[in-house]
Amino acid sequence: MLEKADLEEILQVARKGGDFAEVFLEKREITKIGCEARKIERVITGAEQGAGIRVLREEHTAYGYTNALDKENLIALARQVGRAAREKPEARVVLETRESPVALPIRQRPDQVEIERKAALVRAADEAARSVNEKLVRQVTVNYGDVIQRVTIANTEGTYVEDERIRTRLAVNVVAAEGEVIQTGFEAAGGAQGLELYETEAPWELGRRAARRALLMLNARRAPAGRMAVVLAGEAGGTMIHEACGHGLEADLVQKQLSVYAGKKGEQVASELVTVVDDGTLAGKYGSFRFDDEGNPAGRTVLIEKGILQTFMYDHLTAARDGESPTGNGRRESFQHKPIPRMSNTYLAPGDASPEEIIRETKTGLLVRKMGGGQVNTTNGDFVFEVAEGYLIKDGEVSVPVRGATLTGNGPEVLRQIDLVGRDLGFAIGTCGKDGQGVPVSDAQPTIRIPELIVGGILEKEGDRD
Amino acid sequence: MAAAVVEKARRGGAELAEAYFARSEELLVEVREGEVETLKLAREEGIGVRVIRKGRLGFAYTSDLSWPAVKEAVAGALANAGTASEDPYHSFPEPPPAYPDLELEDPLLKEVSLAEKIEKAREIERAGRAFDPRIRLTERASYEDARYLVAIANSRGLLASCRGSFCGGYAVLVAEADGEQETGFGIQFTRKFKELDAGAVGREAAARAVRLLGARRLETGRVPVVMDPHVVASFLGMLASALSAEAVQKGRSLFAGKVGKSVAAPGVTIVDDATLPGGLLSSPFDGEGVPGQRTVLIEGGQLRGFLYNTYTAARDQVASTGNAARGSFKSTPEVGSTNFYLAPGGFAPEQIIESTTWGLYLTEVMGMHTANPISGDFSVGAAGIWIEHGELSKPVRGMVIAGNILELLEAVDAVGNDLRFFVGKGAPTIRVTGLTVSGK
Repeated sequence: MLEKADLEEILQVARKGGDFAEVFLEKREITKIGCEARKIERVITGAEQGAGIRVLREEHTAYGYTNALDKENLIALARQVGRAAREKPEARVVLETRESPVALPIRQRPDQVEIERKAALVRAADEAARSVNEKLVRQVTVNYGDVIQRVTIANTEGTYVEDERIRTRLAVNVVAAEGEVIQTGFEAAGGAQGLELYETEAPWELGRRAARRALLMLNARRAPAGRMAVVLAGEAGGTMIHEACGHGLEADLVQKQLSVYAGKKGEQVASELVTVVDDGTLAGKYGSFRFDDEGNPAGRTVLIEKGILQTFMYDHLTAARDGESPTGNGRRESFQHKPIPRMSNTYLAPGDASPEEIIRETKTGLLVRKMGGGQVNTTNGDFVFEVAEGYLIKDGEVSVPVRGATLTGNGPEVLRQIDLVGRDLGFAIGTCGKDGQGVPVSDAQPTIRIPELIVGGILEKEGDRD
Repeated sequence: MAAAVVEKARRGGAELAEAYFARSEELLVEVREGEVETLKLAREEGIGVRVIRKGRLGFAYTSDLSWPAVKEAVAGALANAGTASEDPYHSFPEPPPAYPDLELEDPLLKEVSLAEKIEKAREIERAGRAFDPRIRLTERASYEDARYLVAIANSRGLLASCRGSFCGGYAVLVAEADGEQETGFGIQFTRKFKELDAGAVGREAAARAVRLLGARRLETGRVPVVMDPHVVASFLGMLASALSAEAVQKGRSLFAGKVGKSVAAPGVTIVDDATLPGGLLSSPFDGEGVPGQRTVLIEGGQLRGFLYNTYTAARDQVASTGNAARGSFKSTPEVGSTNFYLAPGGFAPEQIIESTTWGLYLTEVMGMHTANPISGDFSVGAAGIWIEHGELSKPVRGMVIAGNILELLEAVDAVGNDLRFFVGKGAPTIRVTGLTVSGK
């Protein structure tokens, strides 16, 4: 890649157009293996490189990217991006290497593992899923992926960071069918880890769990429709907290007045039982990193403490506007994207209650043991998320499984309502989409109870009722 | 370059080889309060190499077009083929007699100045903000355009290339009243710069936001639902994946074994057309170099067939429909739709609403990506306007609508004449006799 002196020169040219300039260089090597219909169908390797140049002038961002990493091309791009504004004299840019206090050691680098061994993990997950029920399991899809991303980040404030991010991931999707009923089950594991991840997250376990869920859902009833108490199990993952409150605490949305949490720092925005943390420093988690994509070290940020809104998630631009320090939440999908405030690993902190007690204290309602995807309208706080595995609760006992449910509610309302918080904590991984950029995240929560949520199920047609 | 790649792969032991080259240049302008907030200029190129060796498929890509990097990609593709399973249906297409002649490039786009493009974004915002005093915030007002070049070569002698361009505007505006905020979007993408109506994009976003102000939840019930074209287009994503031959062959399509049977109400006709004039996803050839075509999938409610790429066509011993879709040089050609639409019917959208005694006019759905294309089950967040005695009355939000896509298709009892495209999916207004809407 380029020398520090080259980057200093590029930054110098770019800054002529603004107050701040930044270069983000990236080389990304990926491996993907896809298995379906018992066949290793896709084996893909790829190498991609590029540079993104950003120039900020007051509230304006100019951003350009290119695949060509030679100095002349980048100087030309810097000039083009910088041209957005006036010439102005500036002191010389001197880059100093930054260190991160966060360590993310990798034991089995994916580039040092034979592709056959990766394919063997994929086959193991496939076989395990099929062996759960040879007759009813109709299709199994397994996708493995690893990425080694090398970045160099340099800016006119003197930041210089060289970093390598390694992530691996394995996902299993199972289709089960019986008669006319088709259901699916999904399990995924991923981390800022090498292949050591699969020592704790065995591919065959993922396969079996996905298959069992698909089979369970074959015999599930359709979910009821309407308003009811909902218990979200710790193992369900943190989609709800990610959607119901995480996005609304990203500083860009707050500053644009597009968040229900705008102007509420220091106010009680949730029940006293609610503490919400975003932590990019957690060892090996899917949303962890040493440095964010602006070269700031990953941080642990308490967003809501005992119901009181403490702060927001900041990147460089939004922190400067609020007179705050960046919280290490400036992230981007790749050199093709400008950084924006994003979550890393977000969780609702555990409380005192035992998960069993929470279910026992719920007369009737819905128990969610696995959440699927979700979405939020941050402007009004309305969110939805999908129930991948759910059960009715009757007289404080877990009763029959139900399928096809989506839960909807309003973020602030739900946070105020939460009346029981368990002492467990379960993580799930995902790719979070915002402004057309996907980044790896994880989220978690303990078992919690929400006294009332809208469950979207299906009412049978007139005359269909028994 | 592509020819050299193919030759290199052949000498490396591939029976068949293919090179796919893509280059694009993009511009994005986002404005807020009349000022440019973000200006993005982008240039990207790369090459993807596919090989078939001993009946096994391998793929590798690189964005570095220096010969050593490209050679490494060829070696990678050959090595990857070694790990893949053998499959007799792998093959690459032969050169076709001809490709459809489509007008995909607007020469004007290069001539238009950056200042004029920035002005388009400003115009979107201005028109939206002026539409109604309750429009208080701009979440997004943007102009974007792209120019691209695609070339494919394979060792059977196929060689195809094409250039294209498009431009578009997008807006998300926020309306506020009594401390309550609602958002609305407007969108238009077109092949021709002159056809872009920036003012209309802004006004649509504003109108959608304002009409939801004061929205409340309704009681849970099973009601007739009128869906606006955007909502219907959202559902089409699910249908497109279920109508791919890949989904059928792998036992994950609810349309498997139903060709020739009735799968929808008689008013439902669904078409995929890569040759549609002005279509954003129109192209003379697909991701493998097979000519694009018009394919009728559902006609008058009856299932006619599926979408095929070369591999799935070989498995079913039919011809490819030219639906090998490739997101970029980084991906292999999977089965995908081009301009995919629900054909228009005879009713004006106003007529459909007037003839609905009571029900929900559904204008926004949330969480559509959680719908299950395999089972067809969906359960999504919903907002819209309640219809009473054939008239739009009060706005509603915070609801969930749920059902199954097959039941939905069978329950369509009115199809509008207002077909409209949202990038690759097009639909008119429709009415469905009954869906569960969950609320209070």
